[in-house]
Amino acid sequence: MGLVTTARVKSPWIMHFDCGSCNGCDIEILACLTPLYDVERFGIINIGNPKHADVLVVTGAANRRNARVLRNLYEQMPEPKLVMAVGTCACSGGVFHQCPNILGGVDKVIPVNVYVPGCAARPEAIIDGVVLALQKLAGAA
Amino acid sequence: MTGPVFLFVLAVLTVVLAPLVGGLLFGLDRKLTARLQGRVGPPLVQPFYDVLKLWHKEKIAVNRLHLVWAWAYLVLVIASLLLLVWQQDLLLLVFTLGFAAIALVMGSFSVRSPYSHFGGQRELMQLLAYEPVLLLTAVAVYFRTGTFLVSGILQQDRPLLFSLPLVFAALVIILTIKMRKSPFDLAACEHAHQELVRGIYTEYSGPYLALIQVAHWYELVLVLALIGLFWAHPWWAGVLLAVAAFFAELVVDNSTARVTWPVMLRLVWASCLTLVLANLAALYLIV
Amino acid sequence: MAPGLGWLVGVPVLWPVLIALLCLLLRPYVARAAVVLVGGGVLIAFSLLVYLQGPFTFTPPAVAGMEWHVLLTVLDFALLLWFLHAALVQRSLLAIVFTLAQLVPLAYWEFALHPQVTVEPAFVVDYLSIVMVLVIGIIGSLIWFYALSYMPRHEEHLHLAQSRQPRFFFYLVLLLAGMNGIVMSNNLLWLYFFWEVTTLCCYQLILHDLTAEARQNATRALWMNLLGGTAFVAAMIYLSSAGRSLAVADLVAKGGALPLVLPLALLCLAGLTKAAQVPFQGWLLGAMVAPTPVSALLHSSTMVKAGVYLILRLAPAYQGTVLSNVLALTGGFAFLVTAILALSQNHSKRVLAYSTVSNLGLIILCAGLNTPLAMAAAVLLLIFHAISKGLLFLCAGAAEQELGTREIEAMAGLAARMPFTATIAFIGMLSMLVPPFGMLAGKWAAMEAVAAAGSGWSLAAIGLLVAGSAVTVVFWAKWMGRLLSQGLPREKVAERVPFFFALPLAVLVVFILALSALVGPVSAGLVLPGVSAAYAPVLGVTAAALILPDGFFPVWVLGLIALVGVILPLAAVRVRPAEARPVYACGEHVAEGERFLSLADSEARLEMGGFYWAEFLSEGKLNFWVNLLGVALILALLGVSLA
Ligand code: SF4
Repeated sequence: MGLVTTARVKSPWIMHFDCGSCNGCDIEILACLTPLYDVERFGIINIGNPKHADVLVVTGAANRRNARVLRNLYEQMPEPKLVMAVGTCACSGGVFHQCPNILGGVDKVIPVNVYVPGCAARPEAIIDGVVLALQKLAGAA
Repeated sequence: MTGPVFLFVLAVLTVVLAPLVGGLLFGLDRKLTARLQGRVGPPLVQPFYDVLKLWHKEKIAVNRLHLVWAWAYLVLVIASLLLLVWQQDLLLLVFTLGFAAIALVMGSFSVRSPYSHFGGQRELMQLLAYEPVLLLTAVAVYFRTGTFLVSGILQQDRPLLFSLPLVFAALVIILTIKMRKSPFDLAACEHAHQELVRGIYTEYSGPYLALIQVAHWYELVLVLALIGLFWAHPWWAGVLLAVAAFFAELVVDNSTARVTWPVMLRLVWASCLTLVLANLAALYLIV
Repeated sequence: MAPGLGWLVGVPVLWPVLIALLCLLLRPYVARAAVVLVGGGVLIAFSLLVYLQGPFTFTPPAVAGMEWHVLLTVLDFALLLWFLHAALVQRSLLAIVFTLAQLVPLAYWEFALHPQVTVEPAFVVDYLSIVMVLVIGIIGSLIWFYALSYMPRHEEHLHLAQSRQPRFFFYLVLLLAGMNGIVMSNNLLWLYFFWEVTTLCCYQLILHDLTAEARQNATRALWMNLLGGTAFVAAMIYLSSAGRSLAVADLVAKGGALPLVLPLALLCLAGLTKAAQVPFQGWLLGAMVAPTPVSALLHSSTMVKAGVYLILRLAPAYQGTVLSNVLALTGGFAFLVTAILALSQNHSKRVLAYSTVSNLGLIILCAGLNTPLAMAAAVLLLIFHAISKGLLFLCAGAAEQELGTREIEAMAGLAARMPFTATIAFIGMLSMLVPPFGMLAGKWAAMEAVAAAGSGWSLAAIGLLVAGSAVTVVFWAKWMGRLLSQGLPREKVAERVPFFFALPLAVLVVFILALSALVGPVSAGLVLPGVSAAYAPVLGVTAAALILPDGFFPVWVLGLIALVGVILPLAAVRVRPAEARPVYACGEHVAEGERFLSLADSEARLEMGGFYWAEFLSEGKLNFWVNLLGVALILALLGVSLA
C-alpha cells in the first residue's frame, strides 16, 4: 500500500445524510462515536460537510423529495469518495418498500459501495462496513 | 552568526521542522482529548494522514479568489514565524499575523456561502478580541526590556514571566482563541457542524483544506514559541512553559462549552485588558 | 533656470485663484476642462519645484505702493461680513454668534489697538510645509481631474436646467489656494485669513446641491469651523497683547514659556475643529452630502489636513506641557471611538468619514506624544492617509454612480462587476491596515513611539491605540469582504471607466505602491527633515527599511512576503470549469449555488448581509456619550492651559 493510500485508509471522514430514516439507524451511527466504540481511533471524523467528506453514510430510503438533495451532496464530494448505505431502508427501501413516494434503496439515486443491513444496523456492523469500505479503497488504489 | 546564509538555513529549517512539530502537537491534542473523554483516540500521527489524504483528493473549488487567500494565509503565517526565528520586531510579527487572519477572513468572504460568511464574521470577532491583547503584550514586553526586537528580548537574563505574570495570563487566555479551542472556538469548530458546518473552512476542500491545516500547524508553533519567550533562558524552561500552556488549553477545551461572540468579547476584553493594563501600571509605578 | 522664490510662493497660492476665476467665467465644458487640466498640471509642477527648491523664506514686496497686509485685512473683514450674511440667510444662531465673536474683537484689536501685525519673513517654507504642498498640489489636482468626469454625470442625474459646474469648480479650485496659503504662511494673521478661505469654500461646496440636507449640513460645517476661527482670533489677540510676535516661527522657537500655553491651546482647538475631531466630527460626516470630489478633497489633502497641520506645526511649542498630553488623549479618544462608530455603518461615505476622523485622531495622538519618533510617525501617517483616503473616496464615488446607491451591502461582489474600481478600492483599503503599506509603517512607528514615551499618560494612550487598531481592522475587513463576495467563475465583465476616473485612480494606486516600497527614502527625504527642525533624529533609514534602536521595519522583506503570499497565487492559481462546484447549501442549491430551494420548493436567493452591531453600537446609542466625553476633553484641554 502506498503512502497516499495508507493516508486515505487511515483518515476516512464521513458525512452522514438522513434520507428519511426512522432515526433508529441514526442513533446507531452516533453510538459509534461514543467512547464505547470510539471510531475516531480509526481516524474517522463525522464532518457534516460534503466538501470535506470521503464517505457518505446514508440512512433511510431514497424518496422523490430528497433524491435531488442526495445527488447534490454526492456531487459536491471530491474524488475519491465512497457511499455506505446503512440500515435496511437505505439498502433496499426496507419497510417502506413500494410506498408511493419511495424510490427504493439509496442506489436508485447514487452508486453505493457498501451495504450495511440491519434494522437498525448495529454499531459493530457499521464499523465492519467502514472497514470493508476502506479495504475497497485500498484495493481500488 | 546573523549572516544571510545563516538566516537562510534557519528559515529552511523552520519551514521544514515547524510543521512536523505542529502536526505532532495536533496529534497529541487529539490523543489526549480522547483520553480525557475515556476513549482510545486516533494515532499520534493522525494529522499527517489527514493532510496527506486531503492533499491527494480531487481539487474542487468555488472560485479562484477563494483559493488565493488560502495560500496567502499559509504564506503569511510562515512569514510571521520566520520573523520570530530571525529575531525581528515583535510588533511587526503581530501585524503580519494579523494580516494572516485578515487573509483567512477575506477567503471566507470570497464565496457567496452563508456558512463561510458566518465563520468570517466570527473570525473577525475573534480578531477583535485577541488583537489588542497581542499588541499590548508586545508593548508590555517593551516596557520590561526596552526593545521590540526579539533579539534584544532574548538577551534578558531574568525571565519575562517574573515581571509580566499578568500579561502572560492574558496571553494564555487568548491562546485559547488562537488555538481555536473551546470556549472560544467560534469561527470554524468542527464540533459545531450543526450550526456552522465548518465556518470559514466550509468551502475549502481537498488540497486547499490541507494548506489551511498546515498553516495551523505553523501557527500553533508560533504562538507556543511566543509563550516560551516568557522564559527564554534556559531554553528548556521556555519549552516547558509552552508545553504547560498547551496542556492547560486542552483541559480548558474539554471542560468548557462554546460561548457566543458577545460573551467572548466581554470576557476577553474585560479580563485580558485589565490584566495587561494592571501589569503595565505596576511596572510603571514600581520601576 | 530656477524660478524665483516669489514664484514658488505666488504660484501655489495665487494660480488656483486665477484658475478658479476662469472656471467661474468659462461656461463651455471643454474650456473648463482645458483650464482645469492645464491649471492642475502647473500646480503639480510647482509643487515639485517647491520640493526641489527645499526650505526657504520669502516676504512679498509691496505691489504698486500697496502693502499686502492691508489687502489681507480688507479681505479678512469682507470674508467675515460674508459669513455673517450666510449665517443670517441660514438663520443659524451659532454661526451668527461665532462670526460676531470674531468680527468685533478683531476689528477692535486691529483698529483700536494698532498691533504690530506684519511679520518678517511673511512666508516660511520648511519640509513640513513642503510635504503639505506636495500632498495638496498633487492629490488636489488629481481630484480636480476626477471632478471633470464626475460632475457632468452628477448633474445629468439631477436634471438641472442650467449647469452649476462653474460655481462648483470655482470653490473646488479656490480651496487649494487657501490650503497652500495656510501651509506656507508664517504670519498667524495671514494664516488665519487662509484658514477662513477654506471655511468659506467648504461651506459653499457642502451647500452645492442646495437640498434641505445640504443646507443643514453646510450650516453645521460653518458654525463648527467658525468656532475654530473664534479660537484662532482669541489666540492671536492674546499673543499680541502679551507682547509676543505673531510669527509662527517665533512661537515655535520661543515656546514652552508658561504664559503662552493658553493661546497654543486655543490654536489647537482651532485645529481640532478643522480636523473634525470629537465632538466636532459632525460637520465632516455631514459633508458627504456634497458631490464626491468634495468629500475626496476635504478628507484627503485639504481642510481636515489643515487642522492637523496646525497642530503638528505648533507641536514643538507645547512640547513638555500638560496640554500636549491632553491633546494626545483627545486624539487617541477620537481614534478609538470613531472607529467603533464606523463598525455600525452601512454607508460607504460614512465609514470613510469616520475612518478619516479616526486616522486624524491617531496623527494628533502622535503630535501630543511629541517625541521625535511620534512626530515622524505623524507625518508618515499624514502622507499615506491623504493618498489612500483620496483614492478610496474616488472609488466610492465611481461605485456610487454605477450602482446608484452608497450602501456597502450593494457593493457585494463588486470585484466581479466592476473589476477595475473594486481592485483599486481593495488595494486602497488593504493599504490602511496591513504591512508593508506606508500607513502601517506609520502605525508601527506610532506604536513604537507610544511605548517608548513611557509616561503615565502614554499608558492611557497605549490602551486607546491598540483597541482602536483592532477595531479599525474589523470595519475595513467587513467592507473588503463585501467587495469580494462572489459565486462560481464567470466570463470577465469589461468595465467602462471614464478616462478622468481611471487616471487619478491609477496614479494614486501607483503612489500607494511606490511610496510604500520607498518608505525609507520618503522618510529620509521628506518626513525626517520635516520634523528634524525641532527634534533630534531617531529614525534610521535605508532604502529597504526603517530602523530604530529598538525596532526594525524591513519594508522590502515585508513587500516580498506580500508578493509571495498574495500576488503570486493570484497569478498562478486557476480554477478549471470542471473543478467548479457550487457552495454548500445543505444540498438544496439550484442554479450554480446562487439560489436554493426554500419552503414549498420555491426558489430563493442565497442572501448574505454584513454584520453591523446595530443593537449595540448604533450612532443613536453612542453619540451622546461620545460627544459628552469629547466636550469634556476639549474643556480639559483649555482647563489645563489656564492652570
Ligand atoms: S433500517 Fe430500520 S432502524 Fe434503520 S431507518 Fe430503516 S426502519 Fe429505521
